[in-house]
Amino acid sequence: MHLEHIIPFATTNDNCYHPRAFGRGHFLAAAFTFYNLVRMSSSLWSLTAGTQGQIQDFDTVLADNYRVRLMELGFHPGEVVTCLQTPAFGSPKVFRVANSIFSLDDEVASHILITPITPA
Amino acid sequence: MKKVILIGSPNSGKSLLFNRLTGMHQRVANYPGITVDVASGALAALPEVVLVDFPGTYSLHAISGEEQVAVNYFSDALEDPDVAQVLCLIDVTRLEKSLYFTLQVIRECERHGKHAVVIANMMDVLEKHKISMDLEGLSAEVQAPVIPISARSGKGLDAVLEQIKQGLANGKGLANSGIVDVPDAILRGTAHKLAHKYGPKGDLLIKSQARLDSFFLHTAFGGIVFFGIMYLMFQSIFTWAAPAMDAIESLVAAAASVVVPLIPNHIAQDFVQDAIFGGIGAFLVFVPQIFVLTFVIGILEDSGYMARAALICHKPLRVFGLTGKSFIPMLSGVACAIPAIYAARSIDSPKKRLLTYIAIPLMPCSARLPVYTLLIAAFIPSTTLFGGLVGLQGVAMFGVYFFGMMCGLIATSVLSRVRAEQYEDLPFVLEMPPYRLPAWQPLIRNSWNRSKHFVTKAGVIILTVTIVIWILGYFPTMGEDLGASWLGQFGKLVEPVFSPLGLDWRYGVAIMTSFLAREVFVGTLGTMFGIENTDDNVLPLAEQIQANGMSVASGVALLVFFAIALMCVSTMAILGKESRSKSLALKLFFIYGIAAYVMALLAYNLVGLF
Repeated sequence: MHLEHIIPFATTNDNCYHPRAFGRGHFLAAAFTFYNLVRMSSSLWSLTAGTQGQIQDFDTVLADNYRVRLMELGFHPGEVVTCLQTPAFGSPKVFRVANSIFSLDDEVASHILITPITPA
Repeated sequence: MKKVILIGSPNSGKSLLFNRLTGMHQRVANYPGITVDVASGALAALPEVVLVDFPGTYSLHAISGEEQVAVNYFSDALEDPDVAQVLCLIDVTRLEKSLYFTLQVIRECERHGKHAVVIANMMDVLEKHKISMDLEGLSAEVQAPVIPISARSGKGLDAVLEQIKQGLANGKGLANSGIVDVPDAILRGTAHKLAHKYGPKGDLLIKSQARLDSFFLHTAFGGIVFFGIMYLMFQSIFTWAAPAMDAIESLVAAAASVVVPLIPNHIAQDFVQDAIFGGIGAFLVFVPQIFVLTFVIGILEDSGYMARAALICHKPLRVFGLTGKSFIPMLSGVACAIPAIYAARSIDSPKKRLLTYIAIPLMPCSARLPVYTLLIAAFIPSTTLFGGLVGLQGVAMFGVYFFGMMCGLIATSVLSRVRAEQYEDLPFVLEMPPYRLPAWQPLIRNSWNRSKHFVTKAGVIILTVTIVIWILGYFPTMGEDLGASWLGQFGKLVEPVFSPLGLDWRYGVAIMTSFLAREVFVGTLGTMFGIENTDDNVLPLAEQIQANGMSVASGVALLVFFAIALMCVSTMAILGKESRSKSLALKLFFIYGIAAYVMALLAYNLVGLF
């Protein structure tokens, strides 16, 4: 179960976490930070250049139509994705999926959940 | 007349195939989302058949309003009894992405009794790398003909024409009932399996692309190359276009000097000289910049570099509510807003495109340069510091350029947050096209077409406004005294508006005439102060302005005003056309006008304190 099911207000319709969560005490802030770390470590965004991951799912923050579009582009659950480039300064990363190359920024890639294949 | 629909994923080569089959010159580039309109033309080999080119889309499941328009067009076309066939183009080098859409198209064709043909493009790329794929097997699986072609070289086009002829002669064959009721989710899985089974084997293409990416997106080299390319682009706009711009001005002046003496009437002479030739010159002078910038941007798009540039710029621009794809249009806006507005076409997110349109008029375009040069020469001393390394006038010029850019970014930053929910947005998912050598002929043709589009669409508006301003400035004094003309009278009428900035009616008139183009401000002031050739040398005019007792605070206020105000009829005309919203251009004119005035007033009072 994703943390947003336990702490419903931890997410918003935007793809980042709401600052209100920090205002509700240290516990929630710590839980929030922990969740964020866990989430980032298993998202497509966590891949570094040359590493691979197998797509598991999309998190619930990503709107349905974007999820469908990503699958249409080849980002299916079960598909192996290779990170080809991680440009500097947090720029969008470059991923290979099937025979296509796409660039995704963290607002999208951090919502694609993966199992790393090559240790980062 | 029978119609054939051409449809496919973005950047699959549709427009190139369309041009090959019709002999027309649609815009072609190696960048997703270039085709934004439906185009149609008769087939060169079968003039009785019309080929209709649809904008590229990844799926019939639209995720934006614009994609929905394309999908709706397609649905309507399937209901049209004149539509005989649907040609679905796939890029064999990226098969899976194309196949899912193809299966959707085949399904819809079967549902509507239309004949679907799959055109497998980019076969030349596979041949070049000695990679094969099983097209017959694929054809059997999708139950539709699959024709291998190379739209780039023209190979295989005869087979496409033959297939069209057969389809027209024989009509729709037996229904492929197996696909009619298959939902999208199953089609996605099927496309995935078919791509693995029949697609090209090996990853030679990906490896060569990745090698180049590792250079162009490298932290150090990538940045150097990026700034080098942007520097060259700037040079091209300012340096390469300048001789052509001078030549156009000279040609228009020469034509006027030949034509005007032939006119017997004095008023008609003045009208033809100033309104007609002046108006024609006012918009023709932009043509070289538009041509050169379109050509250079075309090279960047065609080579595949544009997508990399968008990636590099995405993160910093996201802070201001924009996308990496906004960078090229905004940078172009530093030269001229008109080609910049054209360049914003390739931004797929409607929200980001709108924000880019909003930012472009605030970029410090080259038309502002004469105004800035005049005012800085008049009010900033030519003192140098640090042994001549730093000049105060240069610092002032940098400051006013920076101020304009920051105004644009702040405007987009605020608007993207204040009314975020009102606009449709798309996440940053950019397909990285393969690197290719640009095709020069289509690039030149496209640059020419874009220039022609500007002349025919914006030229009429600019000419009309020029004539109106000329009439207001000429009568009733017959050009003898601008101050006593209707325009001058109006200037005196609105003088109370400009007097809080320390400006008299002459500056008011110059500001109003600069609505034609900002640089007209300098020429009008020259006329007012009786100084000729201000375009070549602004110093006598600057001295005259100083001698006339204009304060530094007023000079700074004018700089601030021109940095913000949308004083350019050409920009407004093209903004209205490209955004398909005349109200956007008018709103920006008034909002930026009011903001410019308020900021100028603020600057005047602040500087006045010292």
